[in-house]
Amino acid sequence: MTASDNPKDALIVLNSVTKNYGNFTALDSVSFEINKGEVFGYIGPNGAGKTTTIKILVGLITNFKGDVKICGYQMPQHKHEIHKFLGYLPQNVAFQDWQTVDNALKTFGLLSGLEKNKVEKRIDEVLDFLSLSYFKKTKVSQLSGGMAQKVGLAQAMLHSPKLLVLDEPMGGLDPASRKQFKKLISSLAKEGTTILFSSHILSDVQDVATKIGILNRGKIKKIGTVDELKTSIWKEKIVEIVLSAAGKIPKWTKISGIKSIEQPSPEKILIYLNKDIDDDIVVNAFVEQLLKSGNRIHSLNPLMPTLDDVYQSYVSEVGN
Amino acid sequence: MNFSLLFSDELRGFYKSKVMMFLWVGLPVVAVLVGFLPSNTPEVPLTAISAIVVSSLAGTLASVMLAVSIINERSKNVYQLFLIRPIKRRDILFAKLLAIYVCVIIASLIAVMVGIAGDYLITGMIPEAVFTSTVETLVISFSMLAVSSTVGVLIGVAAPSVLVGSILVIYGGNQISVITVMPTLLNLGNSIPITVGLAITIAFALLAVALKLFDRKQF
Repeated sequence: MTASDNPKDALIVLNSVTKNYGNFTALDSVSFEINKGEVFGYIGPNGAGKTTTIKILVGLITNFKGDVKICGYQMPQHKHEIHKFLGYLPQNVAFQDWQTVDNALKTFGLLSGLEKNKVEKRIDEVLDFLSLSYFKKTKVSQLSGGMAQKVGLAQAMLHSPKLLVLDEPMGGLDPASRKQFKKLISSLAKEGTTILFSSHILSDVQDVATKIGILNRGKIKKIGTVDELKTSIWKEKIVEIVLSAAGKIPKWTKISGIKSIEQPSPEKILIYLNKDIDDDIVVNAFVEQLLKSGNRIHSLNPLMPTLDDVYQSYVSEVGN
Repeated sequence: MNFSLLFSDELRGFYKSKVMMFLWVGLPVVAVLVGFLPSNTPEVPLTAISAIVVSSLAGTLASVMLAVSIINERSKNVYQLFLIRPIKRRDILFAKLLAIYVCVIIASLIAVMVGIAGDYLITGMIPEAVFTSTVETLVISFSMLAVSSTVGVLIGVAAPSVLVGSILVIYGGNQISVITVMPTLLNLGNSIPITVGLAITIAFALLAVALKLFDRKQF
């Protein structure tokens, strides 16, 4: 079995992966694919099975049922091949107490296959990239949680892996570091790195993920792009119009395509549209009538569900 | 290459650690202090006392250090970052075992050399019999040390906590290593080769079990 170089191929393929801890099923027939260059956001409540999936993917858990292929290689049978192009940041990153940042990175760089004469230069590059150069000679045990997390990311990206797997990478970071982290993920993705990361912070996932998987109680509930996920729970099209000068509301029943209208306050109108119509024509017709009736429009926004709505919808669906 | 890298890394970690500082300095100091304690027995050379101190302390120290270090690193998930790299699991344990074994042997040799130097300063000579018996004691000590160390590795891999691990090592580790002294206690002729052979066999058997357990561990 060899790794394929076709850029359109799925880099990660999970097929009916099941993992039991005694009587408890942590993962129940989990299947998904991640293509090369994608940023896959893996979300779900605590105990959903995200970390178990990730540990299976990186070869830390080897006794599971199902099929896991990364770049064409079977996990865990070919884990040493996979580990050559894999970078991993665990949820709680830990180093040996006595290590300094540069020494720990040197060891991990060499173990990952970096050449001896190139490793020092690469460490400097990565530390500079992550704004960690100042801490190069600091003992890892003296670093704060957030800083240790960044050193954890440094060890994961040191050997320029094709695949980065990050378990809750932004958990312990302050807002500025989170912003930097998201920029970093985006720039690595632009360079062609495939990234899988889990997170509880939905806004972060929405900002950087090109594809999202929702996991709950060991089962995949939905996979798709942010827009696909939103559309999947979008039961009706709603347009919100905010008026700056309120006049009379026109007779909307004469405009076909409008299901109903609500006016929660004198300045705000919510138009509920039929699903299979051209929004532009209907909304334009209504706006024309609205202006003729002496109203002035301040803003007009289609109301889309947020990722939070999507998450709640799929997570509570199982709960119910 | 991976093993030598892991070994040099572990060695660097241990020789700078506070525990090793105690061993480098503490073991010779304890040996000298014991030598100068008032006693009713006829005067025993400092060299022999150093060898006895080494044989009674080195094994326990090595096994406790190994067990505590492995349990600590296991519970803090330190090994995850190693296990997602193309290295053999056994190299991680081998490197740690060998690093501590080497460090403790060096500390023991320093203690004995301090004893020899002390005897030479006091009497101006080292009797050949004392030298021979010291070498024999050291060979037996290092054999026991090999067994205690592998017990430390096994308990480090299997024990659920540092406390349980330490108790098991202190009560179990030394008792198992005493098996290697049996040929000497039973006066089985030239017992040194038997002791060494026994120590190597037990150490490899314990290590094989430890590696098997470590290989099956899910992190």
